[in-house]
Amino acid sequence: MISQQLNDQITLIGPDDDAGLLLRQYWQPAALCDDIAFGLPFAVNLLSEQLALVKDRSGFKLVTRLLDENYSPTVIPPAEEIEIDIDGPTYPTVQKNGVIFAYLGSGEPPEFPSFDCFRAPNTHVFAFKGLWRCNWLQALEVGIDPAHASFLHRFLQDEDPMEGYGKQFRDTAANTDIPMTKILREYPRPEILVDETEYGLKITALRHMKNDLTHVRVTNQIFPQAICIPMSREMTITQWHVPIDNENCYWYSVFTSFDKPVNKRLMREQRLQEHTVPDYAPRKNAENNYNYDPREQKFETYTGMGLDINVHDQWAVEGMGPIQDRTQEHLGRSDVAIIRYRRMLRQAIADLRSHKLDQLPMKHYATSKIKGPLSNDAITKTSNWEKASQAVDFDRRNLCPWDASI
Amino acid sequence: MEHDPLQKKDWVEISHSSNLEGSRALVPIELGKHQYILFRDDEGYLGLIGRNCPHRGADLCYGRLEDNGIRCPFHGWHFDRTGQCIEQPAEPVGSKMHTQIKVPMVPVIEMDGIIYAKMPGSEKAE
Repeated sequence: MISQQLNDQITLIGPDDDAGLLLRQYWQPAALCDDIAFGLPFAVNLLSEQLALVKDRSGFKLVTRLLDENYSPTVIPPAEEIEIDIDGPTYPTVQKNGVIFAYLGSGEPPEFPSFDCFRAPNTHVFAFKGLWRCNWLQALEVGIDPAHASFLHRFLQDEDPMEGYGKQFRDTAANTDIPMTKILREYPRPEILVDETEYGLKITALRHMKNDLTHVRVTNQIFPQAICIPMSREMTITQWHVPIDNENCYWYSVFTSFDKPVNKRLMREQRLQEHTVPDYAPRKNAENNYNYDPREQKFETYTGMGLDINVHDQWAVEGMGPIQDRTQEHLGRSDVAIIRYRRMLRQAIADLRSHKLDQLPMKHYATSKIKGPLSNDAITKTSNWEKASQAVDFDRRNLCPWDASI
Repeated sequence: MEHDPLQKKDWVEISHSSNLEGSRALVPIELGKHQYILFRDDEGYLGLIGRNCPHRGADLCYGRLEDNGIRCPFHGWHFDRTGQCIEQPAEPVGSKMHTQIKVPMVPVIEMDGIIYAKMPGSEKAE
């Protein structure tokens, strides 16, 4: 449990709030490049500011919108209804592999790290986003919680992994013919190791199996509010949790392939079946009880909310309320990465308050040299897990058609 | 009769037994400003306990009715009809943390197909 004051400090993102000031020190996903096709100016609600993406001779930038009386943070008004406040703040943008990033802070924006999602050619990435009606921090915290996958995403029966293209947890694990869903189900009590790194946290979940074998799953927290996780043997997901305001956020994901070019048409089609545009609101949501089916919950999935794990996560974070009441929480050992992350966040907020900008993670001169991060699944002899995890990563990078060397 | 809720002002009608029949023996209940779930366990007893999981606040309204209680779909924490946490399957083997975790519980009584709850805060008035 934490105090209300501390919960406010790490969740609220207005321009004068501690977490709001911190997030403004970093590039924030503001729109998908695909959103330009909806017409410019394109409304962008970001960090409690009402903005619009526009293009002038110098390129794309964010400008401030005149607020209309029907304003809702989760509604994207059409271009013809947008009026620009010519006296309002404007912000620079950069396009990176399908995502338009914006910098809303003071001072110089940081360099981009050389992560795989930025180094891969455009043919090998696919970007998408989705609306969750809750605070950004609880959305991020699900992503740094390796234990929840054994419960929330449990399938009581395994699908054919060959049918799983473009979906999370539908592949076989590592170099075996065991479906990932089976490993998650049968070993629900992972040993979780957390290492502080130059980019944030490396989170290792060890599932000790029969016959002295261990399943090693490495995921990452990228400071301040992204994660990088394996999706299949071929792809990783880098995902940002971006505040719209204090009580709504978007996830932005860049799927990165280390093998074949990404089938973007199929990936977008799969996701547009589950979302409306241009607000990217999920079709399953609290209003329709996430299509909850008690019979399915009994026999097929742990949640009774279908096979799409995004819906499971959405239910978990939205059900906590607009801002999770952390004065009532009870963190356990499985929450070790969340505890470590909050410590980093509080330290960064303290450093920013005392103007020690050079102390902030991912803001220093060498940020552009950071590669990786390692993000994969491996099954190995228990005594050898660390080397085996690195070997799987090395092999994938070696065979990768683009330069993924580290 | 001492426990006849109809004789006592601090017992309020919250639901009907028929609402817990059919495909799911669980309904959300609002009492004052607080949110609860009302469910029937495998032994047929009712439980009226806080709606948000005491772990990280997930909504127990969508919990799994199994093992004579309610299980949170987020991390499998399991609660009995008194709100006591019985199991935390992702915590290390031998962990006793669950013994210290309890969801708020409100006493209920079922009579003639109607379910009554003892209003929170009425305890002291007795």
